[in-house]
This record gives sequence, structure tokens and C-alpha cells, in this order.
Amino acid sequence: MQTDDLIAHLTGKLEPVRGTEVARVLGTGLVVGMLGSALLMAATIGIRHDIVDAMGGGAFWLKFVYTFVIAALGLKLVERVGRPGTDATVPALLIAIPIFVLMAMMAMQMMPADDAARHTLLMGHSADVCSVLIAALALPLFGGLFWSLRKLAPTRLTQAGAAAGLLAGSAAATIYAFHCTESTATFIAIWYTAGIALTTLMGAALGRFLLRW
Amino acid sequence: MIPQEAQYRDWMLAALVGDAAAYRMLLQGLTRHLRGYYARRLGPAAAEDAVQETLIAIHSRRATYDSTRPFTAWVYGIARYKLVDEFRRNKRNAAVPLDEAGELFVADEAEAASAKRDVEKLLAKLPAAKRELVRAIKLEGHSIADEAARTGMSETSVKVTVHRALKTLGDEVGGNNADR
Repeated sequence: MQTDDLIAHLTGKLEPVRGTEVARVLGTGLVVGMLGSALLMAATIGIRHDIVDAMGGGAFWLKFVYTFVIAALGLKLVERVGRPGTDATVPALLIAIPIFVLMAMMAMQMMPADDAARHTLLMGHSADVCSVLIAALALPLFGGLFWSLRKLAPTRLTQAGAAAGLLAGSAAATIYAFHCTESTATFIAIWYTAGIALTTLMGAALGRFLLRW
Repeated sequence: MIPQEAQYRDWMLAALVGDAAAYRMLLQGLTRHLRGYYARRLGPAAAEDAVQETLIAIHSRRATYDSTRPFTAWVYGIARYKLVDEFRRNKRNAAVPLDEAGELFVADEAEAASAKRDVEKLLAKLPAAKRELVRAIKLEGHSIADEAARTGMSETSVKVTVHRALKTLGDEVGGNNADR
């Protein structure tokens, strides 16, 4: 086909585009992914039995707010990487803030503790499964967000995959907080962060294969 | 800031609400830049396919343009992505330079600059009064009525003078180009 014919063809079928199209595509992938992730958890490891009591205490909200803030920044990041010619440096750097705050809380818990107490703080009772479960719960979110990004226009696929992985991991961790009975800042700072880091790396590795359009 | 930014952005914003005429101008303009960009990197044979693929990508992903950001950067992002994709598909391991959006719009500018120099050289061959009339009407876009008022000539003689001057210039470059 001649390029002039192509232009005539594209011009001929031009339709107005809604300004909210990107938000609609991202919202669909995120909501479907979160529903999938929540159902996956309910069907396998379940919600903690004392969830109502737990929601009255600080530890639950620490987990929730920490992962939610990272997820909110991750959503901004994914929106940026889905649009060509847009710089994602600022939201990427902002993610250091919640991590830094929680690391500071961890330092305050660890410094006065003796060796045995430090070991308990670090390992809790679920250190061996926490990060892996977060990564597993992130799988439906991976599906939803990669679907969304393929409908947008990511131009740097490794970055885009990493951003989707970060959002998938932090949203999955927010859901996992309804299961997890750990209650120290130290545990969250290490194992929740490790889970999110794991999904970010998975996303970065998969981006160039799964996000081509 | 890339000089075409304001014009292209206006066309894009009009196209996004369904203005087909603006969209056509936009795609035709971009095609010129894209052709140069890909011809320099892929060779002329592969360039036309890449141009068409990029036009289709621009069309199908137009909702991802954020109107608060530069349009030329958006187009360049897509053009660069399609270039990388082309290299990847042909298993060519060429490093794509981390150049900037200016790259895409560079050829046009150089052409415009050299065309401008040529016009000035030609104009210098006309007598001063005629030269000013041609410059005012043909290059700067003043109306014939304005120039008639400014110079005190009648509109008819302004028209005739400009016409004759262009004919002189046409003969100067050799041939039947007087109407261009």
C-alpha cells in the first residue's frame, strides 16, 4: 500500500478519542487483577480469622498503608511508562520515601533489642513463605497489568515490565496483609519489601518478551 | 523546544476530537520526518515499511498522548520504539543511540534553512523596491491592499510589479518555475 493511501485510510476512519481512555484501560487491568488475586487468596491460604480484631490495631494498618502507598506510586509509574515520551523518574524516586520511613522504624526496633529478640523481629513466624506468597498472589495482577500495558504504548519494555511488576507486587502485598499475622515494622520492612522487589525483577525480566506491540 | 511542536500539537489536539483535516495535515507532516529518520538508519528500501508501521502505531495508540506534554517527544518515543523493534526482528544487534526527539525533526530544518538562503540570494538580484514588495507579500504574508497603502501604489500596479518580479526570478533559476 502506498503511504498516501494509508494516510487517507487512517484519516477516513478517524474517531474522537476520550481523554479518559488510558485510565479506563489501566483501571480495568488493575481491578480484574486485584479481584483475581483476592479470590486466589480466599481459595487457598484464606483471610486471618481475627481480621476484625486486627483491623483495630496498628500493625495491620502499618502493612496496609506501606504497601498501599507503594502501589499508588506504582500506578503513577505504570501510567507514565505506558505513554511514549514521558519521563518516569520522579514517581520512581518517590518510592524510596516509604521504604526509607519503614527502614527507619526497623532501625528503632532493632537497636535496643538483644540478639535473640533481633532474630525474632527479623524472622517472625512466616519469613520463609511471606515473599513467595506475595509473588504468587501477584500473578493475576501481572496478567491484568500486562494486558493493560499492551493496549497502551510502552516504548521501553524492561522499564515498563518493572513498573508493572512493582504495582503487581505492592497490590498483592496489600491483599496479603489480610492474611498475614506478623506485626512488626522490621518484618514488614524486610519481607514485604523483598516480595515487592521479587515481582519487580520478574516484571523487568518478562517485559521485553510479553509487552511487545 | 522543537520548532514544529506548537503546530503539530494543535493538529493532534484537533485530531483527538475528530478533526480529519487536521489529522491529515499531521500525518502528512510526520511522514516527511519519519522517512528521513528511517532512511538514515534502515536504508531507503526498509524505510517506507517502517514509516507505515509507525503511522499505524500513531493512529492506534493516539489515546496515549497526554496533552500536557510535548507532542514531538511522544511521536519520537514511538518512532524510536519501532526502530528498536525493527532491529530486534532482524536480529541485528545494533545499538540504538539514546538521541533526542530533535533527531526526528532535524532533516526538515536543515532543508528549510538552506531553502531560505537560496531565496535570499535570488531576491538580492531584484531592485530594492521590488524586492521589498515580494518579501512583504510572498514571504511575510502581507496583503496586496496593505502594501498598496504603504507604498502609495495602486493595488493593480502592486500586483503587476510582484508578478513581473517573480517572472524575472523564474527566468533567473532557468525555466518555467515562475508560478511556484
